Amino acid sequence: MAEQDWAGTTYGNDWMHKWLIRMLRIIDMRILYLFVAVFIIPVCLVLNPSRGIAYRYFRHRIGYGRLKSAWKTYVNHCLFGQVVVDKFAMYAGKKFKVEIENYHEFLDRADRKEGFVQLSAHIGNYEIAGYTLVCENKRLNALVFAGEKASVMRNRGKMFADTNISMIAISPDMSHLFEIDQALKDGEIVSMPADRINGSPKFIEHNFLGAKAKFPLGPFSVATLRSLDVLAVNVMKTSLRSYKIFVTPLPYNKEASRQEQIRQLSSAYVAELEKRVRQFPTQWYNYFEFWNKND
Amino acid sequence: MEQLINDLKLQIKEALNLEELSMEEFDENAPLFGEDGIGLDSIDVLEIIVLLEKNYGIRLANPKEGRAIFQSVKTIAEYVQANRKK
Repeated sequence: MAEQDWAGTTYGNDWMHKWLIRMLRIIDMRILYLFVAVFIIPVCLVLNPSRGIAYRYFRHRIGYGRLKSAWKTYVNHCLFGQVVVDKFAMYAGKKFKVEIENYHEFLDRADRKEGFVQLSAHIGNYEIAGYTLVCENKRLNALVFAGEKASVMRNRGKMFADTNISMIAISPDMSHLFEIDQALKDGEIVSMPADRINGSPKFIEHNFLGAKAKFPLGPFSVATLRSLDVLAVNVMKTSLRSYKIFVTPLPYNKEASRQEQIRQLSSAYVAELEKRVRQFPTQWYNYFEFWNKND
Repeated sequence: MEQLINDLKLQIKEALNLEELSMEEFDENAPLFGEDGIGLDSIDVLEIIVLLEKNYGIRLANPKEGRAIFQSVKTIAEYVQANRKK
């Protein structure tokens, strides 16, 4: 399945999302985790091509045996279900224990006049970071998929209402790039994923988990345009009710040519992503053919 | 004007890594977007906006006005000549 064929939005319709939030205000999340693991995931695994994609990821990229890959495919889907439940649990007002590694790297940059960029990936549960890594004197602009369900966008809006966070929707006319650049010029924080090619087809290839994969050029190009600092921010689920945010500065030579800056920054991003994926292999949620064929 | 067009061609070639495009082939009247022209996209436009800001002191506040400016290298040169601060 090509990335373009995959919707990449939160499952379910508006009514289902509202119902889920109401239910999460009353019941224990663990009941929902169990329900998802026993009744939803087995059906998804039968009907959804993500089964084969996740299996090949565990078998060929992580290097597990056949049986372990099959089991981890199930675990991976269960964890993905939990992450979706957690997202709605947050909308319902539930709290999670969040630990932050290298918090000072974020605070240090938040105190400066210049803006900076946070690059994320579709691993763990990045949305948790949106509610945790915030600062009063710098607006955080989060790049979000424009096709996301109305209920998800509405709930995000409610969650962000009293915070210094705004959302920039990825637009087919690419106007989001200009909004990002303007925010950075204004000394704000811009947060965007850098593991999926959206909009512009331009890419940069890297060796990732032992095979060549394409990463979008846009985030690295925009991040280096104004020679700003870049942080990788990955949020991983560490237990039923806790998450750990990994903040890692991504170095690149700001004096080098533009192409070299992009190469260095994207290499640093991919190295950090590989480190986190190897640490939490079951929290990889890119359910499309991520790696080039023949690799 | 001739010199400015050549400078812009060189700067755009370098910024966008258009190694395969020779200076002779780089027609200043060719459309920058689409398959009939150079084939640039919005990421490239952002690069050019920053390039114009750094090299000529031009700040494009409204990206929508870029449509007319970024038609070709010649239209960029005309805009730079009329609005440059450096």
